[in-house]
Amino acid sequence: MSFFGDLQISMIVLCSGLGLVLIGLWGILTQRNLIRMIIGFSLLDTGIHMVMVSIGYVTGGTAPIINDDVPMATAVSRVVDPVPSALVLTAIVIGLGVTAVMLSFAVRIFRARRTLMIDECTESKW
Amino acid sequence: MIAEWFGRAGNFSLTLLIVTVYGLLVGAFIERTIAKVQGRIGIPYRQPFINILKTLVKRTAVSHGIMFYLGPVFRIAGGIGTLAFIPVIYGSETFANFSYAGDLFLVIYFMFFGQLGMALGAGESGHPYSAIGIARGLSQMTAYEVPFALAVISIVIQYDTLSITEIVAAQQGGWQHWTLFTNWVATLAAMLAFLGMTGYSPFDIFLAPQEIPIGPPTEFHSAYLSLLQTNRALFGATKLVLFMNLFFGGATGWIELMIKTLAIYMVAVVVGVAFPRFRVDQSIRFFFKIPTLIGIISIIYVQMMFTS
Amino acid sequence: MVEGFITQVLLQPLGIYVVALGAGFLVPLFDRAHRSSAILLFFLALAGMVAIAGINLLAILNGAAPIQIETAGIAPPFAINLRFGLYEGGFVLAVNSIALLGALHWLPSLRQHASALLLYLIMVMGINGMVMTRDLFNLFIFIEITSIATYALIGMERTGSVLAAGFKYIIATSVASAFFLLGTIFLYYLTGTLNIDGMVAQRELISGPIGFIATLFLLTSLLIELKPYPANGWGLDVYETAPGGIAALISVGVSAGVFFALLKTLPLLDNYLSSIAVVGGATFLLSNLIGLKQDNARRLLGYSSIGQMGLLTLALAATVQLGIEAQLPLVAGGLFINHLLAKAGLFWLADLVNRNSTRDWSVLAGRPGRLLLFGILLSALVGLPPFPGFWAKWVLVTELAAGGLYPWITVVLLGSLLEAAYLFRWFTQALQTRESDTPDTIRLESLLPVALAALLLFATGYGMAVQLESDTLIMFLPLLAGTALWLLDGLPGLLKSLLMLVVVAAGGAWLTLDLEGLNRIFGFILVGGGVLLSLATQYRSDVRKGFYPLLGILLLSLATLLRAHTSLEFFFSWELMTLSSYLLVTLGRGGAKPALTYLLFSLAAAYFILAGFALAYAASGSLELAALGDTGSSMGLVFSLLAAGFVIKTGGLGVHIWVPGTYGEADDDFTAVLSAVVSKAAIFGLLLVAAQLGIRSDIGLDPAYVLGWIGMLTATFGALMAVFQEDIKKLLAYSSMGQLGYIVTGIALMSHLGWVAALYLTVNHFLFKGILFLAVAGVVLRTSERLMYKMGGLIKNMPFTFVATMIAIIAMSGVPPLTGFGGKWLLFNAMMEKGWYWLAALAFFSSAVAFLYMYRLLHTVFLGQRKLEHAQLREAPAILLVPQFLLIGIIMVFSAYPKLLLEPLSSAISPWLAGNLVWDGLSLHTHLGYWNAPMIMGVVAGVWMIPLLFLLLMSLTLKIQKVGQFNIVFAAERPHRPEDTHFAYNFFAHYDRALGFLVKPRATAFWNSIVEWSHTLAASLRIFYNGNGQTYALFIVMYLVVLFLVNGGLQL
Repeated sequence: MSFFGDLQISMIVLCSGLGLVLIGLWGILTQRNLIRMIIGFSLLDTGIHMVMVSIGYVTGGTAPIINDDVPMATAVSRVVDPVPSALVLTAIVIGLGVTAVMLSFAVRIFRARRTLMIDECTESKW
Repeated sequence: MIAEWFGRAGNFSLTLLIVTVYGLLVGAFIERTIAKVQGRIGIPYRQPFINILKTLVKRTAVSHGIMFYLGPVFRIAGGIGTLAFIPVIYGSETFANFSYAGDLFLVIYFMFFGQLGMALGAGESGHPYSAIGIARGLSQMTAYEVPFALAVISIVIQYDTLSITEIVAAQQGGWQHWTLFTNWVATLAAMLAFLGMTGYSPFDIFLAPQEIPIGPPTEFHSAYLSLLQTNRALFGATKLVLFMNLFFGGATGWIELMIKTLAIYMVAVVVGVAFPRFRVDQSIRFFFKIPTLIGIISIIYVQMMFTS
Repeated sequence: MVEGFITQVLLQPLGIYVVALGAGFLVPLFDRAHRSSAILLFFLALAGMVAIAGINLLAILNGAAPIQIETAGIAPPFAINLRFGLYEGGFVLAVNSIALLGALHWLPSLRQHASALLLYLIMVMGINGMVMTRDLFNLFIFIEITSIATYALIGMERTGSVLAAGFKYIIATSVASAFFLLGTIFLYYLTGTLNIDGMVAQRELISGPIGFIATLFLLTSLLIELKPYPANGWGLDVYETAPGGIAALISVGVSAGVFFALLKTLPLLDNYLSSIAVVGGATFLLSNLIGLKQDNARRLLGYSSIGQMGLLTLALAATVQLGIEAQLPLVAGGLFINHLLAKAGLFWLADLVNRNSTRDWSVLAGRPGRLLLFGILLSALVGLPPFPGFWAKWVLVTELAAGGLYPWITVVLLGSLLEAAYLFRWFTQALQTRESDTPDTIRLESLLPVALAALLLFATGYGMAVQLESDTLIMFLPLLAGTALWLLDGLPGLLKSLLMLVVVAAGGAWLTLDLEGLNRIFGFILVGGGVLLSLATQYRSDVRKGFYPLLGILLLSLATLLRAHTSLEFFFSWELMTLSSYLLVTLGRGGAKPALTYLLFSLAAAYFILAGFALAYAASGSLELAALGDTGSSMGLVFSLLAAGFVIKTGGLGVHIWVPGTYGEADDDFTAVLSAVVSKAAIFGLLLVAAQLGIRSDIGLDPAYVLGWIGMLTATFGALMAVFQEDIKKLLAYSSMGQLGYIVTGIALMSHLGWVAALYLTVNHFLFKGILFLAVAGVVLRTSERLMYKMGGLIKNMPFTFVATMIAIIAMSGVPPLTGFGGKWLLFNAMMEKGWYWLAALAFFSSAVAFLYMYRLLHTVFLGQRKLEHAQLREAPAILLVPQFLLIGIIMVFSAYPKLLLEPLSSAISPWLAGNLVWDGLSLHTHLGYWNAPMIMGVVAGVWMIPLLFLLLMSLTLKIQKVGQFNIVFAAERPHRPEDTHFAYNFFAHYDRALGFLVKPRATAFWNSIVEWSHTLAASLRIFYNGNGQTYALFIVMYLVVLFLVNGGLQL
């Protein structure tokens, strides 16, 4: 496919990723329920992952394994950049960890104060 | 050296005697004048001398303590010392006293010596009226000091010296050289301050001589009082001599001195007879208005006239 | 093999991770077996991390090359690499050490959860990673590792408020991390590498819209993690609620890691240096301003933490902007280590004291050891010597000046002053005993980490001093002497006093006797006079904990002040003097509150001086005091700043409001030292700048003329305010203020005669004010009163004290023949010579007004009617009288032979201002007048003796009866109560009616309104902190938007 198409597919991923980031931020900023805020965070995280993937994608590229089909000389232009994919994997793990901690906080907050509303957790201020 | 000191001391004793007697006589003269104005006969000239003698020969006295005892000593020492630092007769080595020990500034500050000592003595008497009188007197002093200081600064600028002898010297050679005529603004300010300094009405509330015994001397009697009375005459005359030296050309002889000082004194007397008494806060405010303004003008004036 | 493993792996920087992770895995296992063994392993691991960092840093300091660590055996960019250089080593060592101390502090809590041990290790390892890694994505991972460990540690506390604060913290940092990740991936897109060095090498690729967005995300993320105003409410909430151990580690450890991340990515962010500086500066200033409103101790520490990180950020950006990276270790390193130790110590202390409201910290009152620790930590945080913050701020401010970044100097100094205000207000609250307090239950051993932090502050402070100064041993001498005396603080009071006197006399003589000129003269006043007056401290035999060591420090720091050759040495001794005198004032009965005012004004003065010195350094490129004159066009400004500082310290009109309280409430014997001696240090400083700058013809006379007016107005209003005082010590305080005003005017004259007058007045003020305050100490000791109208007639009980007071007052008043006259005469002549006629007139007035309060003091205390209950009072103790009469002896000698004093004064001045005094025998001549002191003395003695002899003679025949107390001619009535006969209260009521309007407390009202306004401003600036996590998240997003707009995002 042409350069145009190459751009198009990664652009779609990129844009939807950024869209998810915005939706996630919107969720964090407007949803007062802790669980919903955490969902917002998850969306934000996922959006970022999509952005990362889109950065390294080469349309029509093949897996980044150097063998007879993909000789060293042409590898750079023919394979998908493996680094972002590797990063995404790490980022997903970390996102998972953070989400888990968030959820456990939500649970404990609910146990301690019988509410999940963030605007009822404002006793520390000024 | 010792002989020279004794000589000076002897000369000064003469000055002291003349000025004291003169002061007492002037006091009597003023009393008599006021009496005449008020349609009375008044006291004889010998009365002040009799007063001093009478208190001096009292057989008993009480003391409230050592400072009380020393109060009159400080007071008259202040009077004598002030005179000692002023050259009385211009051009006379005999009557120059100890004026080479210090200048005009010394004289002004030494005037406080007797007042401070006396105030301490009166304080120890434990009499509230003494303390009230001192509080009033000191307050008033801070106020008339301002026009006086301005006037003094004015003439110091004018004559470019702090030496009283040189100030008098600069005024020699005819009446038109007197400060009164060369720097009338400063003289006016100083004379207004002089009214406060003499303690005549309208600035006499710290002594309140007419009614209840009030003021620093309240508790003093017998020999103490005689010292105070002597000093009153002496110190009064000394201040007159100082003003004469600063503003009225000084004097080359005793007669000139007597005429001039009497004339200066009459200013205070006339004002005193004519005006009722100020409260202390009123008199303070008075001095801070017109007299201070005149004093300020006198410095501006002298800077315009005598410095270029 | 094992040995190889140890040297090749464990002792390498990478060993930190090996140790942390290894111990992390093993701790749960050990825990199964035995909790204590797990804890032992935990501590071994932390200690190992400290040791590895220490060993490697030492190697680098000894000249080894920075260690590059490659992983997986492949060189970057194909694998992650780390670096352990000087900066990394310093940060890692500091963080690990504080983590070790923090673990020690937190042990009781850590003991309960094995998982906490694991999390703690991982958190510390994460911070190490943030510091060392050179890979951007790896940095992200370490940030996340640290964050997750932090979240979990916060979550261990199960109270609602901690969890809520923790959740806000997670939301905020997660959003920030998301930004970081976005920035990282865009940067990778542009440069094709994740290696920071690789990115820097291809800096030119990071451009265009994507480059802008990438760096913007990175910057915003790091700034947010540093908690900039106003997007930092989430941080404050955690500081407030989290247990002290974790809050301390977030404040110093995590912040350190993030700060280092900013430091290493700064080459990528070089377009944003101004933004970074503004964010840092604004955060520093505003956090400290808002801190004024805070009374929750932990939240207060939070504000301070945020402020300190802001300052660090500002320092970093400014240093890079100015291209003086070589100073970075001193500036950023100093500020960092200072913040690290002091803040961690304070968080731990807050944990131990366990009182939320700063007011309740009064449980520490009366516990000198605890207060000392508290005070050391606070002083370090404020940047007082000898702690690292002092040196760092010095370098920062001088370099800012050199770079022409003047607004930042204002921000740094103003912020520091605000910080000092709330921190020392807190200290003040801790000093004041309250009835309701229950004793705290802090066990001594639990204070160990705090004490170690304090010790490390001293050590690092000394280390920085060695870097900056050659003469450090002399500069630290007062502190060494103070420490030695403090170690002996358990001895009886009298013995301690004696020891202190010996130490100060010996040390002071050694320090000052070889000085010359002005410094030598001030050596006699400051050190000799200080020792002489301190003799009187023997009148109290009680323990006086801390008093003698502090007095020793104070007096010796005055000695080192005189020795200073560079402005840094001068400022060091100056601040040491400020700090020790402040602490001494707090020891007075009601001293804590006025001491705070004193400290704040003193610090303001010190900051003016610092700014002046910095400007001078900028202009002349030298720190030598002698080079102050080479400041070219900024001469006038330098002079004005320095003079302003010194005038505040003399209590100039308008900035005098610290004077009455401080002098009034300090211990009575110490007030004498404060007024007679310590105030002269400011005079010395003023003379110093006048000598270097003021006398120069190219400076323009205007600053000096203004100074002259300030001095004389101070003299006038000081006297007026003294007139209306009922409190004897406050009366003398205002009197001191006024008398120093004359001296200031004398210096401002910038003429030989003017300076002779100023020095003469200085000596004289030392003499008579020393006597007066010691006499008052005796009176207060006997009567237990300070209000004069409650006394009276004490001449009968205390004749020697009366005589001493009277002579001192005559010497002050200017009445001949005592020393006061000479001062007035010289000053008047000098003013007339200069043509300052209006000032001369004002001097006349003010010295007349002074008579009022002088008489009032003598009368109401010693004369008049004695109170019945005072009938049995005894004379003041001999040890109080001895120094007084020694001083009287000096007054008498100088009164009769002023030449003895004037000749050395004149010759000390002649190197600066040519001219000499004209003597005709013993008579001194000026252009205008003459003054023959011995003759005046003789005449006065003569005219005084004659009537005295006469009266004594009369007394031989006259029967003089001593009469009883109420035997007066009083309206035909014999009074019987002193209360209604002693005219004392409101003594100058009529004067009040006439001139009282002049002395309405306008300055006090002005400063009060300043305080009120800053509190109001603080209140309106903290509305952002509404406690809602969503609001906080919104601010973070808006921060991004604002940075986007400010840096020209719309023009892309």
